[in-house]
Order: sequence, then C-alpha cells, then structure tokens
Amino acid sequence: MLIAAASPTPTPVSVPGAGIFSSPLLLSLTIWVPVALAIAIATMPNPRGRYDVLMKQIAFFTNFGLLFILFIAYNQFQTFLPTMQYEEKVPWLQAIGVTYHLGVDGPGMVMLILSALIGIASVLASLGIRERVRSYFCLLLLTQASVNGAIVARDMFVLVLFWAAASIPLALLVLGWGGPRRHPAAWRLLGYWGLGTGALLVGTMALYAATGGASFDMDVLLKTAISPRVQLAVGLLMIVAAATRLPLFPLHGWARDVYGEAPIGVAVIVAGTASRLGAYLLLRTLVAAEPAAAHLLAPLLAALAALTVGYAALVAMRATDLRHAAAYLALIPGGITAFALAALSPLAIAGAVLSFFAGGLAAALIVGVCATLSERAQSRNLQVLSGLAPRMPVLTWLMVIAGMALLGVPLLATFTSELMTFFGSFKTQPIGAFAVAAGLGVAAVALAVLFRRVLFGSPNPDAPGVSDASLGETWYMALLAGGLLWVGVFPSGPTLPGTGTPLFDPGLVNVMAAGISDIASPYAGTGP
Amino acid sequence: MKDLVLVPEALVVAAAAFLLLAGRLGWIRPAARRYLPGAIAVVALLALAIELWAGATLGTYFGGGLVQDRFALFAKAAVLLAVAMAFAVVDWTAEDSLSIGLAMPLLAAFGVMVAASAGDLVALWAGLELAAAAAVVMVSLRRPDLALRLLVTGGVASALLLTGLAFLYASVGTSDLMTMREVLFSGTPTLALAIPVFLVISGLAVRATLAPFQLVSIPASLGASPLGAGLVLGLVAAAAATVAIKLVAALSPIPSVYSSYLEVIAAAAMVGGGAAALATRSPRARLAYLAAGQIGWVAAGLVTHYRAGLAASLFLLGAFAVAATCGPAVMGRADGGEPALAGMGVLRPARAAALALAMLSLAGAPPLAGFFGEFAVGAALAQTGSFGLLALGILGSVLSVAATAGTLRVMYIQSPLEEARRTSRLPVLTRLSSFGAVAFCVVIAAYGLLSSPILGLANQGAEALGLR
Repeated sequence: MLIAAASPTPTPVSVPGAGIFSSPLLLSLTIWVPVALAIAIATMPNPRGRYDVLMKQIAFFTNFGLLFILFIAYNQFQTFLPTMQYEEKVPWLQAIGVTYHLGVDGPGMVMLILSALIGIASVLASLGIRERVRSYFCLLLLTQASVNGAIVARDMFVLVLFWAAASIPLALLVLGWGGPRRHPAAWRLLGYWGLGTGALLVGTMALYAATGGASFDMDVLLKTAISPRVQLAVGLLMIVAAATRLPLFPLHGWARDVYGEAPIGVAVIVAGTASRLGAYLLLRTLVAAEPAAAHLLAPLLAALAALTVGYAALVAMRATDLRHAAAYLALIPGGITAFALAALSPLAIAGAVLSFFAGGLAAALIVGVCATLSERAQSRNLQVLSGLAPRMPVLTWLMVIAGMALLGVPLLATFTSELMTFFGSFKTQPIGAFAVAAGLGVAAVALAVLFRRVLFGSPNPDAPGVSDASLGETWYMALLAGGLLWVGVFPSGPTLPGTGTPLFDPGLVNVMAAGISDIASPYAGTGP
Repeated sequence: MKDLVLVPEALVVAAAAFLLLAGRLGWIRPAARRYLPGAIAVVALLALAIELWAGATLGTYFGGGLVQDRFALFAKAAVLLAVAMAFAVVDWTAEDSLSIGLAMPLLAAFGVMVAASAGDLVALWAGLELAAAAAVVMVSLRRPDLALRLLVTGGVASALLLTGLAFLYASVGTSDLMTMREVLFSGTPTLALAIPVFLVISGLAVRATLAPFQLVSIPASLGASPLGAGLVLGLVAAAAATVAIKLVAALSPIPSVYSSYLEVIAAAAMVGGGAAALATRSPRARLAYLAAGQIGWVAAGLVTHYRAGLAASLFLLGAFAVAATCGPAVMGRADGGEPALAGMGVLRPARAAALALAMLSLAGAPPLAGFFGEFAVGAALAQTGSFGLLALGILGSVLSVAATAGTLRVMYIQSPLEEARRTSRLPVLTRLSSFGAVAFCVVIAAYGLLSSPILGLANQGAEALGLR
C-alpha cells in the first residue's frame, strides 16, 4: 500500500462509468454556486424569520449538491495523469499578467472532497442557529466559496484573493455568533490571518518580480528557475503564511480563542478546511516549487512541527476548559502534516497529502465533539464535567473516535497518513520524527486523562443536567467519523472481490497519487 | 465627433449653473424636489455616456490648454460615474440645500475634468482649486467654522502649490506638460528642481487628505453633510491625485526629485490611515481614514515612475473616487457614532450592503474594486523592487480590513436600537436611494470582474502621458 501511495498506478483501472461526466466549469461551480446562493439568501425576503428553515435547507442542499458533483468528478479523475485536470483558463488582468486559472491535481481533489464533507458537517452543526439566520448562512457559504477558490486556484493572484477573502466572513461569524470572549477571538483571527496574508502577498510579489513580472500564473511563478536566495526568502514568507493558518507554534495565538468561542459549525469549518489551506500552500509553493529552499528550510519546518505537537499536547493536558483542550488537540494534525512536508521524501509527501484529509477530519471532529459535549452538558469546565459516558453514549463514542483519530489508531485514515509520514521521514528527519512521536505520546496521555475525567470518572452530582447529541449533531459528527473510518478501511477504495476492479470509489490514495509523483520527483532517492 | 468631446463638461457646468440660479431664484417647486436628484443623476450619466462615446477622439483645445486623451477619458469617466452614483444614493433629507448640494459636486467634478484634460500647469491648478472651492462651500452650509479652517488650510496648500509650480515654470521655462517632459529628458536633477517639487507635493498632499496632512480636511469632512463629506474625501482627493499623476508623468525623466517625498507620504498615509481607522469608533471618521489609506496606495503607485505603476494608480483612483465619494453619502447622518448604524443590515439592507462594500473596497478587501487596484499597484511596486513600501502598504490594508470588520459587526450583528434610543435617524428609504445603493454595489463588485478592460484603459491613459 505504501508503495502504491508513493507512485501512481502504472496500469490504471477505470471505475465503471468513467468518462461520462465532463464540465469545463466544474471548478468554477464549486466557487460561484455558493456565492450565488449566498446572494440569494441575502436578498430573499424573510418577514419575521418565516423562511429561516428554508435558508438552512438552501445552505445544506448547496453543500450536498457540491459534494454530489465533486464525488462524480472524483470518480472521473484520471488517477494516472500527473497534470492538472478540469482546468479553466481565462485571461483576466492582462496588463499585470493575471489569469482566471483554476485546476486540480490529486492533492487538490483530496482537499475539494474534504471541503465538501466539512461544508455539509458545518451546516448540520449549525442547524441550532436561531439568531440572524440569514446573515449566518450567507457568511458560511461565502467562507465555503473562498476555501474552494483557494484550493483550485492556479494563479497566485486568484489564490491570494480567495485566501484573504476567507478571513472576513469567518471573523464576522465569530464576532456575531461566538461565545463570551468572541471579540478577542475575532480580532486575533483577523490579526494572525492578516499577517499570513501579508506574508503570502509579499512572497507572491517577490516571485513575480524575480520571474520577470510578466505573469502571476503558478505555471510561470513556481516553475521558473530563480536564485536560491530569493527561493529562501519566499520560502520563509510562505512558512509564515502557512504557520498562521495551520497553525504552527508560535503563530497559533488565534486557535484557542477561535476554536473555543466560535459557534460549532464555524469551528468545524476552520479546523477542517480553512486551516488545512496552510499545509496546502506549503505543498504548492515550497515543496513543489522550490526544492533548494525546501531543503534549507526543512529543519526549521520540522522543528516548528515538533514544537507544535509537543506544546499542544502539554497545554491540552493542563487545560481546565474542555473547548480549550480540544483547541490545542486540534493543532496536532496540522503539526504532523507540516512535519510530513518537512521530511521531503516521496512517501512522506504522500502522507502529508493524505493527512490534509485525515487531519482535517480529525481536527474538525475533536473540536466539534468537545463543543457539542460542552453545550449538551451545559458546562465546559473540566472540574465540573465528569462521568458523562453513561448519560451521553453517542457523544462518548464519537469523542473516543476523535481521540483515536488524533493518535493515528489503525482502521482510521490518520493511521495510514501517520504511517506514511513516519516511514517516510525516519531517514531524512530522524530527530524530528522522534520529537513528533514523543509529542504524540504526550497527546495520548492528555487524551487518556481527558477521557478518564470527562467520560469515565465518577459522575459529579453538582453538575448541571446533561443530554446526548441531537440527531443533527449526531449526523455531522458521524459524517466526520465515517470519513475517517472509510478511508482508514479502504484507502485504495473497495474493489469487486477477486477482480481488482474498483467499485464506486477509486480510492483516495489512488486519486491523490495523481500529481504527487511530479511534486516529489526532486526528492526521489530520499527516504524509503 | 471632435466637437462633442467637450459636451460632458458643458452639460455639467450648465446643470450646475441652472441649479444655482434655480435655487437662488426659487424656481424649484416642492413637487419637483422629489425628482430633481434623479434628473441630475441622469444628466451626469448622460455626460458619462457622451464621454465614453466621443471621448475616444483625441484632440487639443484652447491653444493646448486642454488635451483630450485616454487619461482624460478615464479620469473624467470615473468622476462622472462617482457623482452620478452619489446623487442616486444620498439621503437628501440629510442635506442642507438641494440646489447647492447638487451644484457643488457637479462643479467639483468639473474641476477634476479640467485637471484631467489639463495641458499645462495653469489648467491643472485651476481644476484643483475649483474642486476644492466647491468643497468649502458644501462644508460651510452646515459648519462655517470648519469651512473657514478648510479654506485657510486650502489657502496654504494652494500657496505651496502655486509657488512650487511657478518655480518649476521658472526652472524649466515652459508651463506645457509635454514640453516640460521633453526639456527634462535632457536635464539633470538639481536642487532648483527638487525644492519646487517638494512644495508642489506638499500642497497636493494637503489637498488629497494624505496623512499626516489630514488634520484639517478630515475634521472638516466629519462636520459636513453626507454629500459634503463625500466631496471632501472623494472628489477633492481625486482631483489632487489626478494633478499628481499628470505632474509625476511630466517629471518622470528625473524621478529622484520626487520619489523620496512620495515614498514617505505614501507610507505614512497607508499605515497611518489603517491605524487611525482601527483606533477610531466613529463610522464616518473611519471611512475618512480608510480613504486616506487608499489614497496613500495611489501615491505609492507614483513612486514607481513608469507606465505600469502610474496606470495602476489611475486604475485605483477610479475605484477610490467612486467609493470615497459615495461612502459618506450612503452612510447618511450617523452622527451618533457607531451605535447609529446598529442593525442597519436589517433595517436598510441595500444601503448597508452599499456601505459595507464602500468600506471594504477602501480597505482593499478582496474581491472588490479597491483590492484589484491595490494589487495592481503592489505588482508595480514589486517590479521596481520597492518591497519595503509594499510591505507597509499591506500592513495598512490589514489594519484597514480589521477596522472595517468592526463597523460590519455593528451593522449586521448588533440588534437594531429602539427608535427612542437612536441619536440619529437612519437614512430615509426612497426608491431612488435603494436603486442607487444596488447600482453602487454592482459597480464596486463589477470593477474587479471587468478589471481587464478598465486596467487596459488606464494603461492607455498612462501611455498618453508619454510614459513607456
């Protein structure tokens, strides 16, 4: 399986029905359909909240429709092609060399599927919103559109546009519907993400200047040979940009407040996809584009990753607030992804791409389940919450799955990604691998302490009344947990017994392999 | 076709003269007051249509005093669009005088049009002063004290500008901008040139409300009526920026005499504007500082002193003129500080959307007009290696976006205040203002989507100034 993940299938076997669906606007649909429906929600009359439910339905079916379209696109994806697929290219700002250029390769398709799943989970987690429903779902759809735009962008201008655009609706969602400390949370989010956007913009401009100032197309900016000094400067700026999003220590200052104060649906979308964009940026602009700088900066990135995992685990262990503990635990998948990218071996890079998906789901699940649990238990104080397992069986199961996903337990997708990461990194980053593994060990202790106290300790007679997850809440968490389990059990997709013919799912590992061989080619010969 | 080129100017001046006369002689009947703003907005749009249709014809008028080229076409089209939109979106019940409120923006627009097609230093100065004088009249209707301060400061700016231009004329030996450029190609930068350029830039910085020179003009705009504020922050600043672009194009053979001044002013405006916007709580003051920050970006584009940079500045100036002129007009009274806007998103959805887009565009937030303009300037700065200025500009924009989020929160997330607790009324709902607000939103959003032809025209405009 590891070898299959590291290189694309040599003789691809197409899924039944392949080649039927083709759309020149597929990727544009993933951006502009949510925008159009956000505008529709914003402008439709809603006297005295009469159509609040309809607005929630519109948001849900928009995401459901996107998932359906993307699932078809995922099935139609040419897993043996290393090039971009579903490309769209329209000249835009020709005077400065900007094109509306979209496209996806394997990693991009993985991110799009993740985004669609998280989008549905986010809407399901937001069904309890009662105040200003119109504004909430309008902003949620705009966030979704921005994230999708950043994933499929093949022009650095378009990437910056959507990367920056995501922060405004998210900050407003936190400001409008967040907990008591929502103000500092929103300003921190804006501040850190603004810093990251600034770094990305300066890095983009530096690349633009270094490549002759003719085009912002990634095919030009990221494939033109530039001096190692410029590569290094741009690489550092990209690490800053990525570290504010992912987030990595020490630029993680927004995470505790935002994950702790944001409404559940917003916390899910931030932890699941918006933050994964940081790792995706590193893959595109550092690992795939600037191998010289990547080699030089790999120890720095590995150190940041190890510090993030270790710091997050230690702080989670000492947390007294359940949502804060979840916020710190949600940093761990990002640290592992960053470490996989720092390892710079084909197998580790494949592990990093798989951990976009697995880590995104795991982070969203731990943040979501802890937020839901604290709402259902009417407290987030770890001194108060105790012995909840008998009274919250559904949430207990989901929380245990979330914890196991963070640690990379077999049968979950994170196991496959972490296995690839560690196998691919022991040769190139042995100290980092040991440090990250040690951090995961501390995280395991932190989770054990948390579970013992919150779920399996003796019940607290003075605690407020509790109830288990509602149907909507169960659905959104089950969707995230189901995604982790499905990819964990079938990383290469289910096949017809005895034939090797893929069924409806060509397998995430096969799909993501398209493009990875191209990205990893400068690092061939390193690692196993 | 050549005879039609000056028709937009004639229409604008005739409409302004008619309004002043009609107001003075009492010809405007109460029944007509409802329709007059819409009619004058249509006149401005008609002038815009003629400009776009006939303005492509190149030519010179009044012995070379006025030049019709692509630069003039772009700047005139932008300012006519800004004025037409402002007339449509403004809450006329918050204005002090209908006839003067309609006439002065038209005269200010005429001033910008004169400056845009100026062929020599005299026409440049005259256009700028006309726009500034119209702003003083608008402010004086409500706050004579602030108008006096604006007049005195404007007088100082005018004196600096005039002295500088006179010295420049004496040094170069001609007042014609194209001839001046040709003469400077064979010259070298000297102190005799650097001093007048410093005076000119200082005068323009005061006129353009660039930090730290906005000490008088921004307070004056805060005391004026909504349209008066738009005039000070938008049209006068646009006039000053238009003059600056034309002068920089003429001086481009010797960039060392102005680059350093412009860099300092641009950096201070971009960062200072963003920081001040974040620090203030008053929505109109915030809008004013956002405008100051964006005009700093326009100045930053001039630092590059080559075609792409000046074209980017001109492109951004178009977005700025529309957003900064219409922003205060959309906001309405809002005298009671931030709470006055509470719940505006629910009570006045179209106006709230227009105000949000105006502020976000001035802050440089994607994917709106201001972002595209600032990005184009940023690309030009990167090409010339001005990464320090670029980084400061980005810092200013980040601060501006954070500041704007505060106002958006009040408009969309805070519950509406009870009518009794409101210190100032929300803008009155009329069919024209609602239509204007929607049209404004479309313009601000479409500026980015149609940025390719617009930036192409701006490029032609910069080329018309003799830049390569």
